[in-house]
Amino acid sequence: MTHLYIAIVVAAAVVLRVWIRRSRRRQRGPMGSKQGSWPANLEGSLGEVGMVAGREIRERVRGRIFRIGTLIMLIAVAAAIIIPTIHSGSSGPTAQTVGIVGGLSPEAEALIDAAGAANEDTVKLVDEPSLAAAKTDLRAGAVDLAIVDSTQILLDRPASSKGSDADPGLVQSAAEYLGVVEAYHSAELTPAQASLITNSKSVAVRTLQPGSNQTVKATSIIGLVLLFFMLQQYNTWILIGVMQEKSSRVVEVLLATVRPIQLLGGKVLGIGLVALGQATIIVAFALIVGAAVGSDLLKGTGPLVLACELLWLVLGYAFYCWVYAAGGSTAERQDQVQTLALPLSIPILVGYVFSITVASSGRPDLLFKVFAYLPPTAPFCMTVLVGLHQVQWWEFTASALISVAGTAGMAIFAARIYRRAVLRTGGRVKLRELVAR
Amino acid sequence: MSGVLEVVGLRRTYGTVTALDDLSFEVPAGRVVGFLGPNGAGKTTTMRAIFGLTDLDAGEVRWNGASVGQKERRRFGYMPEERGLYPGMLVGEQLEYLGRLHGLTAADAKAATNTWLERLDIADRRGSKVETLSHGNQQRVQLTAALVHQPELLVLDEPLSGLDPTGIDAIGQVLVDQAAAGCCVLLSSHQLDQVEDLCEQVRIIDQGRMVVSGTVDELETSGARRLVVRVEGDRAADWAQQLPGVSVSELSAGAVRLVLDSSVNSDDVLRAAMQAGRVTEFSFERRRLSEVFREALT
Repeated sequence: MTHLYIAIVVAAAVVLRVWIRRSRRRQRGPMGSKQGSWPANLEGSLGEVGMVAGREIRERVRGRIFRIGTLIMLIAVAAAIIIPTIHSGSSGPTAQTVGIVGGLSPEAEALIDAAGAANEDTVKLVDEPSLAAAKTDLRAGAVDLAIVDSTQILLDRPASSKGSDADPGLVQSAAEYLGVVEAYHSAELTPAQASLITNSKSVAVRTLQPGSNQTVKATSIIGLVLLFFMLQQYNTWILIGVMQEKSSRVVEVLLATVRPIQLLGGKVLGIGLVALGQATIIVAFALIVGAAVGSDLLKGTGPLVLACELLWLVLGYAFYCWVYAAGGSTAERQDQVQTLALPLSIPILVGYVFSITVASSGRPDLLFKVFAYLPPTAPFCMTVLVGLHQVQWWEFTASALISVAGTAGMAIFAARIYRRAVLRTGGRVKLRELVAR
Repeated sequence: MSGVLEVVGLRRTYGTVTALDDLSFEVPAGRVVGFLGPNGAGKTTTMRAIFGLTDLDAGEVRWNGASVGQKERRRFGYMPEERGLYPGMLVGEQLEYLGRLHGLTAADAKAATNTWLERLDIADRRGSKVETLSHGNQQRVQLTAALVHQPELLVLDEPLSGLDPTGIDAIGQVLVDQAAAGCCVLLSSHQLDQVEDLCEQVRIIDQGRMVVSGTVDELETSGARRLVVRVEGDRAADWAQQLPGVSVSELSAGAVRLVLDSSVNSDDVLRAAMQAGRVTEFSFERRRLSEVFREALT
């Protein structure tokens, strides 16, 4: 099975490599304009904004950082899906051979099977001609335990001791069940009555508070981690990209022919499309790997949580890209960007840490639910609420609409800051100065 | 290709500092116009205002009589003082991209890029990243970025700074050729000798105000007379310091450059020089642009 996982990961890497080489070959083709490629189509349909976006897409996809980053994320996702599957496989059903001396009644046989299932053991019963033969087989390891005349269980050494082949849980359950059968006989129950009791089903157990769903929880947490890293990565691209255009002074040449909102819009659109493409590849890869290895992560509401995370990645990026673009326009050096990056990322960090905590506990409080409606934290908090079934569709829609409205307001504010700050050089521009004017 | 740029009543203040103070001038078609002034005079602010890169408190920039908007600016070419290109982008792709932003089709942008790279003798660097080029070649690429879309107006802020004589000649010739083809060319520079060679007209501003405007020819032939006198063995020109109505403009390599008031008779100057020694040179000269500049600012 391990070979299959390795083959999938290698195949994904090869596909990615081929795709990148083909796209690079297209870029080096006889027509520098890349007619027919989707960045070219974008340029044709969106004018200056499309041209700026097209340049961003080409430069990002061509960059080594993007290719290596995508590969690392794919490997991380594959590991997150495959490793738990391998781990659960190692503690799966254990084969237990049980020697039977003196026969076993049908009810007792059914109970031994039930004991095996309860302890995740695959039980195989073998008849022993005599007690001596059973002892010989026990010492040789041919059987793991022996049942003698339905009244006694014989082991080579104590089940809990190191080196014992017998599953202690199975031994304990079998001993209890055989005691029950013995009690049935003592109570002179008919076989039908005994069978009725033996095959009884447990009554349903219901809880007032929902318990945590381990599968959805794991899917949520993996998704939150990816959401966090992607938002940080894409927004850092924006921050550094805007700063570099300012520090290289190319922005003055560009703004001599395009409007600030066109330049900024093209940049966030281009990076956003690269981000969406990368995220789609990762989610598709996660679904394929999950299906291939039969991962629990994608069962139940797992795919819904993943789809939700993809949507909130888009909404989260749409909101934060303007914040980071405005921030980048106030800086013109790498150290200034580093100083800016931390305060800008605080809302993302708060939403991420809060969401991871709630996803683990499964109990969102009122504050968390409020955060699920605030554009800076909604991408994380709303995703967790979906995973926990704690939100109605209209609540989800309301949060998304608030986020869209917040994004529109932020875009207007950021464009204003950008226009005022991006041509001011000679030190970091203070936000107070930009807002005050 | 022709048009007239008009800068009308530009006013811009930064706090208590007045960068532009009711500045007006015109750049006619088919002329290279030098835009001169001391540091901080407002040249860069004016050029930025032409491209809408600075907010104005008052005034207007017009092209062929109409207010300039984004549509007009797409037909302008700009080379800012602080050069601006993507350092990590390939030269050819960068120029095509900028050409397309100015409205060229992909094929036209590619053809124009190739033509200009050939013309400026950097075609072999088409596939190089800008950051790997020498300063002079980066300057040529920057000029190409301003020219690639065949602009009707070229605004160049210090295009000749940092260039070697070969580079100055190459770029200078391109600018003259563009003007001859009908383009308006406005360039700022502190290298007045080169401005004198390249420009037919100059605009000199100080503290945001226009102080001198005219053709180079007019400005050089106007004003007080210039007289160059060389007296054998005399390097201090003490004889000239004593003459009434005469001031020493320059003293170099044994020759003194004198500025004469209108009342001064040049025969008196010659006699004074002959008394100091044997006169080996005595000639009238035109006013230099550097003198026009200095006199305008005093």
